[in-house]
Amino acid sequence: MGVILPSAVIVSTLADTPIADLPALLVPALGETLAMVGIVMLVVVLVGTPTAVCLHNMAPGGLFENRGVYGVLSWIVNIGRSLPFLVLMAAIVPFTRFVTGTNIGIAAAVVPMSLAGIPFFARLVENCLRDVPRSVTQAARASGGSPLQIIRSAQLGEAVPAILGGLTINTIAMIEYSAIAGTIGAGGIGYVAVTYGYQRFDHTVMIATVVLLIALVTAVQLIGDGLVRATTPHLRRR
Amino acid sequence: MISLKQLTKVYGRGPDAVTVLDRLDVDVASGEILAVVGPSGAGKSTLAQCINLLERPTSGQVVVNGEDLSGLPEHKLRVARRRIGTVFQSASLFSRRTAAENVALPLEYLGVTPAEAKARVAELLERVGLSHRANHYPFELSGGQRQRVGIARALALRPSVLLSDEATSGLDPETTRSVVSLLRELRDDLDLAVVFITHEMDTVLHVADSAARLDRGRILEQGRLVDLLTDHDSALGRALQPQLSPAEPGTGSRAWYVTYDSRTVPADWLQRVSADLGEPAALLAATIQNIGGTSTGNATVGLASADAARVEAAFARHGLRAALRPVARSGGTTAAAGTAAPAAQADSAPEAPAPDHTLDTTPKEAALWA
Repeated sequence: MGVILPSAVIVSTLADTPIADLPALLVPALGETLAMVGIVMLVVVLVGTPTAVCLHNMAPGGLFENRGVYGVLSWIVNIGRSLPFLVLMAAIVPFTRFVTGTNIGIAAAVVPMSLAGIPFFARLVENCLRDVPRSVTQAARASGGSPLQIIRSAQLGEAVPAILGGLTINTIAMIEYSAIAGTIGAGGIGYVAVTYGYQRFDHTVMIATVVLLIALVTAVQLIGDGLVRATTPHLRRR
Repeated sequence: MISLKQLTKVYGRGPDAVTVLDRLDVDVASGEILAVVGPSGAGKSTLAQCINLLERPTSGQVVVNGEDLSGLPEHKLRVARRRIGTVFQSASLFSRRTAAENVALPLEYLGVTPAEAKARVAELLERVGLSHRANHYPFELSGGQRQRVGIARALALRPSVLLSDEATSGLDPETTRSVVSLLRELRDDLDLAVVFITHEMDTVLHVADSAARLDRGRILEQGRLVDLLTDHDSALGRALQPQLSPAEPGTGSRAWYVTYDSRTVPADWLQRVSADLGEPAALLAATIQNIGGTSTGNATVGLASADAARVEAAFARHGLRAALRPVARSGGTTAAAGTAAPAAQADSAPEAPAPDHTLDTTPKEAALWA
């Protein structure tokens, strides 16, 4: 699971990469970034959403209020939110190696990125759930809903547009984290930017990676905005 | 039918405990609409949450059709709650569901098949007059329409009790009237016991068969609307009537505040009193309406007669109670207060709220309770 780069490109040192060679360099890097962010976001949504639901409903006034468990869970999430990503990534290297058997490459980057992304997403979704009017939850309870039905239809269902907004923010943050992870050899656009643009003063590659990252983030934001609009009735029909 | 027996709700423990509801006893028969009125902070919303058991009462019982629901474990309570439909303030609709999908919600929770649910939803929307809005989202509906969707949703599981928690608050008067008449129709058609919780006194006259006044967690007064409105001594009866600003009686005349105090007041009482007293009576303010076949109301009449006892007797002969109207506070001079003082006492006893009772009451409510 190493860094796959065309050897012809690696040879040409101390000179700017010809523009014609950029696709061969950047397309695989983009693929690696998308793979990393995609895997991480899948884990983040699958673990972060239930965490957020638990946080929201164990807090005072929630469906299954439990101050003790809430306190512990909230504390764990706060720890995850406290560490700068670079520090977190370095600090958990033994854990990463234990889980994936390696400490470089995409697999090794996915572990710290997920650990940073889950608490981030959990707090974003918790905030979305808090914004659902309490009267909607009350109406669901009065309509005879079980806790799971209420969570699905009233809480998550009503918060879908806000959660998609949060998902967009989180995805963009993960693109940023993937670039940081690139510095420890995780591959992706970040790795190319650091090794070519920074270490070899290859301005063409530097500029190309910057443009690519801007384009990637813009695309994610546009897709996110579109999904929010599509799931919000009063925005959809105009 | 629904009965509350010694219903008590206490928040907190020990010295910090706050008794929000204090041993309430209320019965609402099938086909009856009971209005529960009271100022902000009286415990109305807590009462609503205890009736549909979103909050468990600290002690006492909520009995629906003979079964005590207050002691049931949570999973049984969820089933039992289906017997009570709740209409919330501003309807609390799901913003991402159409009107039809909102009405279908309780059916979905129950596990009704989509085909069955569809038929029932169509029937319910038809019943509240919104078939043509079935596929509209809440943001496309007016306040009154949203409230009708809320009513349809509350009725989806064929409850025997309907709880309306400030359902007409925030609606304009005309919309309120149409929602209220829908509730009365439904009450008749479905033989519902309706608990109508509101702070809007003027709505009560249009909707209720009986009324209870909740203040500081206690029911201070309750009874049939007709009885309350034809009893001069009922503070609730007087509070339920529109508050009027009478015209000036003119020099040499005094303003008498007259209330209906029996069910047999003749319609032409003003002329009769005028004839009895042998002087013209000036009508300065009046509101008279038919409540369940009985005339009720109040009036302010200007009379020159100086003999207070004779005036009171003349009104009493026709089932009315008259008292000298207290002089407006802004007048404030000793001379004016001197003549009005005894009447003011008679008029406002026994329930006159203290002038500064509005501490935790909004100005609007204060006006209603004044």
